[in-house]
Amino acid sequence: MAANIPQRPAETAPRISPSAEGSTTRGTQSPGTVMIYKVSVERCIACGKCELACAFAHGSEGQPAKTRINIFRRGPELGTPVVCFQCHDAACVAICPTEALVRNAATGAIDVVYERCIVCRMCVAACPFGNMQWDEPYHRVAKCDLCGGSPQCVPFCPTGALQYVPGDEAAQRPEPLVRGTS
Amino acid sequence: MVTMTIDGQQVRAREGAYLLEVARSAGIEIPTLCHHDALEPYGGCRLCLVDVTREEWGGWCKMVVSCQYPAEDGLIVMTATERVVETRRVVLDLLLARCPETPLVQRLAREHGIEATSYARNPEPTDCILCALCTRVCDHIGVSAIATVDRGVGREIAPPFHEAPPDCIGCLSCAEVCPTGFITFTSSERARTIWGKSFTMLRCPSCGRAHITVEQAEHYAGRGGVPRSYFETCDACKRRGMADTFRRIAAGVAPVSVAG
Repeated sequence: MAANIPQRPAETAPRISPSAEGSTTRGTQSPGTVMIYKVSVERCIACGKCELACAFAHGSEGQPAKTRINIFRRGPELGTPVVCFQCHDAACVAICPTEALVRNAATGAIDVVYERCIVCRMCVAACPFGNMQWDEPYHRVAKCDLCGGSPQCVPFCPTGALQYVPGDEAAQRPEPLVRGTS
Repeated sequence: MVTMTIDGQQVRAREGAYLLEVARSAGIEIPTLCHHDALEPYGGCRLCLVDVTREEWGGWCKMVVSCQYPAEDGLIVMTATERVVETRRVVLDLLLARCPETPLVQRLAREHGIEATSYARNPEPTDCILCALCTRVCDHIGVSAIATVDRGVGREIAPPFHEAPPDCIGCLSCAEVCPTGFITFTSSERARTIWGKSFTMLRCPSCGRAHITVEQAEHYAGRGGVPRSYFETCDACKRRGMADTFRRIAAGVAPVSVAG
């Protein structure tokens, strides 16, 4: 049973993040409304509140290093948040030998069914974006599950770099963030 | 869908579902040692025994392993009859004789009212309960490096000929799934050892961190139909690479839309 991993992972990214807004993730909150988890890289000030919110929401002992959303800091108040894209044709799902990774029809997220997980960690190795992580405190794999349709990082983001918005709003280009001159 | 009765409770079940799964989803707990939701039923531990009967059987009932007995319309299942409980006690009593020093077995036995085994204690105590979770997990991963060998009292889990298994990829899943910690291993940044086989760790070309074994990368590459290099970079460095791609897209350095 050969798993179907995308042959050219580099080209998978733009399909999921088709514009300069950054990455978007599809989900549905209520029937008829497609909700998109939208990341606007331009607006991120690398404050780390999303990482803390995630670490607390998922009980990883509040360790920001064990968060499922990771900010890569590239300068003062400049960051790039990286979080699971919930790929349409996901490598983690394709390689999982026990079908422990399943699409949640309600949220659109790929959820880990821990009862079916045999801890082989193939998904960690297979994700071309590194968004499937190993959570040592809980000794299990961890990925963004959109908090069951209410992402906890979003309300903590002070600049609106992270948003959970209806599909038509997600396509809009984000307002540039007015940054201090100092 | 089929309708049946479990412990007096009317439940509806998917046709072909096994009794254990149906009972558990109805909130009725049945003890197991060899069951795993991801693996095919094995029927090895005999702890999930239940009594089943039907209206037309006139009081006659039979004992079956619930993990391998499919749900049927009109089936009446009893998970804790006197003889079921007594049989479970015998199973645990025997298991405690085999594994007298295993905490999991001790705890389960105590929960069933057994403090010490009534059989002859195994002179060579082992932690292996022969649940075969490890061999089945290994099969699922597509490796099958270990198996149950011999029969009867000599039955054990081992690699072929008790030698370092040539097919083992060192993924440690067997050790992870083992409920008693019988399968031991060592793993460090330099090397990994399990089943008497030593593995060289694959180092991430960016950060130098060892994350998987060379054999794992080769096996995954074969499964996924991608080159081994796909698995060389560690997850943290892949994330960093992704962050850089997004930064370049946002800055207008990289093309906004690459894929068609």
